[in-house]
Amino acid sequence: MNWNKDIDEIKQRRKLAKQQGGKEAVKTHHAKGRLTIRERVDTLLDKNSFDEIGEGAGVPAYNEAGKLTDFQPANFILGFGQINGRKVIVGGEDFTVRGGSPNPAGLRKSVYTERLALQYKVPLIRLHEGGGGSVGGTNNEKDRRPLGDPVFSQSRFVPLAETLSSVPVASAALGPVAGLPAARLVASHFTVMTENAAVLIAGPQVVKRALGHDMTKEELGGPQVHLASGAIDNLATDEADAMVQIRRFLSFLPDNAWAYPEKLACQDKADRCEDMLADIVPTNRRQPFQMRKIIEAVVDKHDDGDGSSFFEMSRKYGPSLITGLARLDGKSVGIIGNDCMYYAGAMTAAAAQKLRRFVDFCNSFHLPIVSLVDEPGFMIGPDSEKAGTIRHGTAAISAVLQSRVPWASVQVLKAFGVAAQAHFGPDGYVLSWPSAASGALPVEGGVAVAFAREIAAADDPAARQKELEDMLAASQSPFPRAEGLSVHEIIDPRETRPKLISWLRLAVAAMQTASPGPYLTGMRP
Amino acid sequence: MQVKSEIAGSVWKIIAETGADMAADDVIIILESMKMEIPVVAPKAGKLTQLHIAEGDMIAEGQLIATME
Repeated sequence: MNWNKDIDEIKQRRKLAKQQGGKEAVKTHHAKGRLTIRERVDTLLDKNSFDEIGEGAGVPAYNEAGKLTDFQPANFILGFGQINGRKVIVGGEDFTVRGGSPNPAGLRKSVYTERLALQYKVPLIRLHEGGGGSVGGTNNEKDRRPLGDPVFSQSRFVPLAETLSSVPVASAALGPVAGLPAARLVASHFTVMTENAAVLIAGPQVVKRALGHDMTKEELGGPQVHLASGAIDNLATDEADAMVQIRRFLSFLPDNAWAYPEKLACQDKADRCEDMLADIVPTNRRQPFQMRKIIEAVVDKHDDGDGSSFFEMSRKYGPSLITGLARLDGKSVGIIGNDCMYYAGAMTAAAAQKLRRFVDFCNSFHLPIVSLVDEPGFMIGPDSEKAGTIRHGTAAISAVLQSRVPWASVQVLKAFGVAAQAHFGPDGYVLSWPSAASGALPVEGGVAVAFAREIAAADDPAARQKELEDMLAASQSPFPRAEGLSVHEIIDPRETRPKLISWLRLAVAAMQTASPGPYLTGMRP
Repeated sequence: MQVKSEIAGSVWKIIAETGADMAADDVIIILESMKMEIPVVAPKAGKLTQLHIAEGDMIAEGQLIATME
């Protein structure tokens, strides 16, 4: 006697599990232009680095002689792997089995993913395509078990929430993602979706029945909807691009909250000064400029020398504020900048929520923040009031002022009103360009209101208004602020990169004298 | 191809004429929004077949500005 029969069955089960939902289901899936979960994992990870967990989980079928004839694998694939030589954990639904709607073993594996990430403190990546629970449940009639989890079991949402404070989490929507997988998807620091993906709380049929809307799943939850809603950060041109974006995102981050980000060798010169910065801001304040060009001129060039290291996140959500990751002197930093092409860069409710989330994210993984300031204030008007901008904006300011990472602010142009506070962190390093203007209110709006009587009483009201505006504009100049040391330096814009790098070297060395750990905050407005 | 405004504002100046061949990023109109002059540009190269607005019009977020082909 020996174990050969059982050893053969292990092989047989593994072979059957790799067939996923079967040849036909895989063919149908490919015909939709989509990769299977196993192909996705291979695209994401370093070559041959996937180390699967729970390969044997699933439901076997036997013939009358008791011989194994089939094996339906758990429809969630899970395992460790490597990205650029660093350990990660990756999981995702197998859409070819039950359309990704969890079978019992699949559900267990999916719930276990977050726990493993917490246990081994490694970055977590989820590749989603699948639905939530079925009203019929996950059991067949014949193997019915007691309903629900025991009352003493931990909710599966506890580790889902805890991962965000502990390890970097990046998720992709690569097809229809609904219900529980959609909730997992957004419980991430970075989310990306492909053109033909849709993210839904409930699908078209449920929506039609309840609300009467006749909409496709793309209309309900396609990229047009969720890049603007903020549920999804970035769009990917295809699945390969989604994986490239996830790898790039993780390259800026430490493995967990108990470590600092790695400094890379930097090929780009620390004293590089770009001439275009000297006149990128128009002297006519009615004319806009491109903040992204300033960011790209200041941060490190990309490793391969092509383009900049700036990796923008959530561009379409709250677009008056730019957020993203970059390298400066080889170190990871979070970048914030106003985009005056959208409402002069004003802080909308969405921009405020984007800012708060981004600042908390940078604090969670010890990324210094560089803020390029052109803030005219909170967005005004009826839509902004209805959106509750004042509360979201004040919450963002609280997040900024509770921030514990090194913070530098470069005042490029405007810094007005309460919202300006959202760009200056505690003990921050403050540089001012000659174009900078600060105050309670921009002169153009404020003078007509504050001096209404005086202007009306003047012989030439228009001339008096102009005179007052010129006088007050002079008081908003950065020079008196530099004289009073209310900024560290007023600089030639070309000096921005060298100045920031000198500061960052000091600031990171000081930060790293303490042991890092998770970032927890209290109540905010 | 529909060109929509990403912001609210008023039409300050119409720059491009109907029938013009546009390159990507060529300016179609300039909106005045929050006291700034914000261009609405051609997202791709093509012919500007129709303008749906006039100077002085108030524009809502997402409003159709021009049609291109």
